[in-house]
Amino acid sequence: MTSSMSNVEFVKDLVNKNFHPLSQEILSPYQISFVVEKDDVHQLLIVLKTAGWIQMSYLSAIDWPLENKFELIYILMNWEKAVHVQIRSKIDRTVPIMNTIIPIFPGAKYYERECHEFFGIAFPGNPDYEKQLILEGWDDIPPLRKDFDPRAYSERKFPQRVYTEDFSVTNNEPSKQAKRAARKQRAESLRGGKK
Amino acid sequence: MIVSLLVGLGIALFGFVLQTSVAGVNRKVVGRLQKRYGPRWYQEFLDIFKLLSKRSVSHGWIFDFGVIMALGGIIGTAMFMPLTTSFSAFAPFDNFFIFVYLIAVGMLGMAMSASGSGNPLASIGVMRALTTMLAYEVPFMIIVLTIIKLTGTSSLTGIALWQQAQGNNWFIVALPVGGIVAILCLMGMLGKKPFETYIAPAEIASGPMVEYGGKQLGMLFIMHEITVFIEVSLFVHLFLGGANNIFEFLIKYFLVYTSVNLISNVNGRFKIDQVVKFFYKWPLLLASAQAIVAIYFGWVI
Amino acid sequence: MKSTKFTPASNLSKAEIDRKWWEIGDYFRRNSLWLLMYCTGCCAIELPPAMTSAYDMERLGMGPMATPRQADILLVSGYLSLKTLRRLIYTYEQMSEPRYVVALGSCPINGGIYHDSHAVINQLDQYVPVDVYVAGCMPNTEAVMNGFVDLMEQIKNKTATGWLRYKNNNAWFKQNQIDSLGEVEVYDEFHE
Repeated sequence: MTSSMSNVEFVKDLVNKNFHPLSQEILSPYQISFVVEKDDVHQLLIVLKTAGWIQMSYLSAIDWPLENKFELIYILMNWEKAVHVQIRSKIDRTVPIMNTIIPIFPGAKYYERECHEFFGIAFPGNPDYEKQLILEGWDDIPPLRKDFDPRAYSERKFPQRVYTEDFSVTNNEPSKQAKRAARKQRAESLRGGKK
Repeated sequence: MIVSLLVGLGIALFGFVLQTSVAGVNRKVVGRLQKRYGPRWYQEFLDIFKLLSKRSVSHGWIFDFGVIMALGGIIGTAMFMPLTTSFSAFAPFDNFFIFVYLIAVGMLGMAMSASGSGNPLASIGVMRALTTMLAYEVPFMIIVLTIIKLTGTSSLTGIALWQQAQGNNWFIVALPVGGIVAILCLMGMLGKKPFETYIAPAEIASGPMVEYGGKQLGMLFIMHEITVFIEVSLFVHLFLGGANNIFEFLIKYFLVYTSVNLISNVNGRFKIDQVVKFFYKWPLLLASAQAIVAIYFGWVI
Repeated sequence: MKSTKFTPASNLSKAEIDRKWWEIGDYFRRNSLWLLMYCTGCCAIELPPAMTSAYDMERLGMGPMATPRQADILLVSGYLSLKTLRRLIYTYEQMSEPRYVVALGSCPINGGIYHDSHAVINQLDQYVPVDVYVAGCMPNTEAVMNGFVDLMEQIKNKTATGWLRYKNNNAWFKQNQIDSLGEVEVYDEFHE
């Protein structure tokens, strides 16, 4: 390219000319992120795809329980201008619905399945977003939500090993702090080869 | 008649014990080559007896019957093998073509039971084994027919005696190119790398042996050991001049098997189309050239 | 003077004769163990030094085998997620008897560092009988070799009876499997 602006500036110009992102942030010379409204996501993806960002690297979600929202993240990559573009948008948490992006990126079929399985987000338009991809026979709330307690689930379903307490402490020294401090002093004094 | 049968069974048993010991010693040799202690020399015996003491799963009567047919067939073949030029069970019957004919019974039994197990990997393995057999038999047959034409007899003892009568002129020296081709074909027959395609443990989970466990696998191992004994003994009689007493036979047998094993240990594994292409290119050309040179021009060293 | 060379055959009961044959079988079985390396997790990285020239498992008679039907030991190395455990139970039930299970690492003992995960089981003993545990995260290769030698000692002393326990208490194991896994049938999209 003979233009004098860097790739990141190119992306920033491209997006700002046609859309109104709620916020944007240049993270590094190779990464930039935009926060947009939910309705702008599809248009923005189409514009970026025609501009050269043809690879969908990742699609996932972040759970914000206090704001009662899910934040969907799409990460795109260009093979000629090496910039990762993150597109973030917040959707409602109680009834999470987001239209599918399979017409734009057909490979997002499995990413959307994974999002549904782990967060519970529905993607109408994706023919099999309800089929389980990674978990088999799952019977609880979607596990990556922040109000799911994995430890309680593990203790409920998988029995823990019971260790018998068959020892007893027979020395009754008050504390070992003095010995510990002396050991540490000696170790410090030996550091650097001194004796 | 009964005495011949018993002597034949004794030869088969001797062949099994010999090959198992030689295989165990070879594992130790390979281990030392890799800077470690190998297993004990009788490790193969322990493997086979352990397998025979496990309870196994059967897939039907064809599965079991095929293994028994393979083992019985190969014991029957081994009964004809002459050990030295003066010791064999059925003296007028040690023809080369009998062995070629009867080895197929063993292969057929294994193929039958492998396809009776119902696993697609077993069928792939059997198909590969038969394709490999198709590949190495043609150059081998050309060389052996050359030898039969030169000596005028197709009995193994007769060929061995002819080589000794010519002043210890072994065929591996008299037909040098043919000897090299025969070594390659021997590696194909034994299933050594690089022609180990039909077992291929990492690709098709050991091919025909995938569904065997316990007693059937033990019988299959015994069958494999006796097959190796037959093939290496064929090589010793045809190309290395046979033997006059048992110690010479043992030494030649051990040297042939060890050198083939050492060559195969540093090679990778071919794919099946590479095996067929390999055998139909240079070995076939060299074998035909050697045959023409030896028969029509009479240039034998 | 009575000759002591020959024991009359009727002095040994049938149970004693069976025991003698089984002891010979134990000698063969403990000197030529074949592994099925079910490398589920991170502890599988301790196996290459054990198999090759560094610690040489082959001098004990052990060697890797390709399929479960040919193997004696099922080597569980590392954590077991739910999906893997279903397939592991399939594999364990395909092996021919007598069969042994060796578990490497802390994860089959009590969950290890994944003890509070929703997808990793905590105790392998409840689903499949285990003969030898080798603790560590991950254990040193010498500890793994020590574990194998311990298994050989156990076979010699006839305490490696996990497979008998599985046969006799099958209902208990199956109930545990259904409680934790739901069902052990494998429905795989890519194999339908």
